[in-house]
Amino acid sequence: MTNLLVLREQMKKIYSRYEAYITPTLKFLLAFISLSMINNVIGYMSSLNNMAVVLILALMCSFLPMNLTIVISAVVTLAHLYAFSLECAVVALAIFLLLFILYFRFSPKDTIVVLLTPLCFGLKIPYVIPLAMGLVGTPVSAVSVACGVIVYYVITYMSKSAAALNAFDADGMVQKFRYIIDGVIGNREMMVTLVAFAATIIVVYFIRRLSVDYAWTIAMITGTLFNILCMLLGDLLYSTNVSVLGLIFGSIVSVFLVKVLQFFVFNVDYSRTEMVQFEDDEYYYYVKAVPKNTVAAPEKRVKTIRVPDKAVNHPRKDVRR
Amino acid sequence: MLNEERIKLMTKMASYEANEGKRNMAIGNYFRGDYISVQVIKSIIHATIAFFIVFALFVFYDLELLMADIYKMDLLDLGKTIIIYYLVFVVIYAVISYVVYAYRYAKARKSLKIYYNNLKKLAYLYDKESKRYE
Repeated sequence: MTNLLVLREQMKKIYSRYEAYITPTLKFLLAFISLSMINNVIGYMSSLNNMAVVLILALMCSFLPMNLTIVISAVVTLAHLYAFSLECAVVALAIFLLLFILYFRFSPKDTIVVLLTPLCFGLKIPYVIPLAMGLVGTPVSAVSVACGVIVYYVITYMSKSAAALNAFDADGMVQKFRYIIDGVIGNREMMVTLVAFAATIIVVYFIRRLSVDYAWTIAMITGTLFNILCMLLGDLLYSTNVSVLGLIFGSIVSVFLVKVLQFFVFNVDYSRTEMVQFEDDEYYYYVKAVPKNTVAAPEKRVKTIRVPDKAVNHPRKDVRR
Repeated sequence: MLNEERIKLMTKMASYEANEGKRNMAIGNYFRGDYISVQVIKSIIHATIAFFIVFALFVFYDLELLMADIYKMDLLDLGKTIIIYYLVFVVIYAVISYVVYAYRYAKARKSLKIYYNNLKKLAYLYDKESKRYE
């Protein structure tokens, strides 16, 4: 355990020193993985399904604000869908627009979840998302995660039903459109997952806020069990064909991952070096503020205070200072 | 003269100004009513756009049925229903955004109050120093 703590302190130190390089690298990786994954699943537009393009876009994302990564991913997705079928692109565009117009103007910080949720689905660890968001977010994050779930299932549905969509003749635009909408709305697996994730986030959030020891760990485990329960219940009610083994195994892996995240990321203050400049009448100040890294965990000390018997038996009434 | 305490305070404030303070100050420039009403109006516009998107999807979805029945339908009634849906949707969305932005305004004000207190403190430090050198 001590070694891990030391490792964490070292990580903090490295981060605060090289923050200027680490953050863009992480952003680059995120954009790169997401774009590659999009290309993998729905890479219909050959000009975009190209390593060089992905690299250039990811490099751009590493310098641009985080939310632009999402916009770029959305645009790439739409372009691929457009190359595949106009109807898919229209439906996806409508869904993206609705999400951005209605929800993400309230919480621009949460937008990243819409990218991370499909990403985790792709990596087969979707259960990380509700746990992690319950731990670091607020109950409102449930909406963000729900948006992410919708985006994932819509895109997967479109890529899965590619053969069926191609079977429609060229005139059947409205039929195609209806087919897509019916598929999206009638996707029970999506609904079950959506409800399960949203409920899990709320459960995790309220448990981790309790003032009991190990609230975070209890929240994680309860949340996972709750999530499994919801998914199984959904399977029972709507026969969504959830693979039970995958659910349980994925949940175990997710708990483990979230535990690691909690140790290294969530509770740790990765304060970074800040460069600020200001002036007064006499000087220009260029200040580089480097955070101090103090490890010293407070030791527990038990101090017994004994009240002498006399004081208890004969309280002095008029105490003057 | 350079004064360590003052520089620390200024650094803290400059960092606040550069990060979260930027947004809070933009909010703090408004009166409460103005800020909230501007945001709610924006919300209403957004909700209207969203409603049109959904409506367009709906129309396109039911295009064939609509085209076939368009002469049989009571258009006035349909229009009424649509307007009622629209109003319900917009009102709910506006109420939600009112609550959200009222909360945000209160939070920004609170945070700015601390900032203004720091400004006062800074002025006091300057004042004290200039008196010392007089």
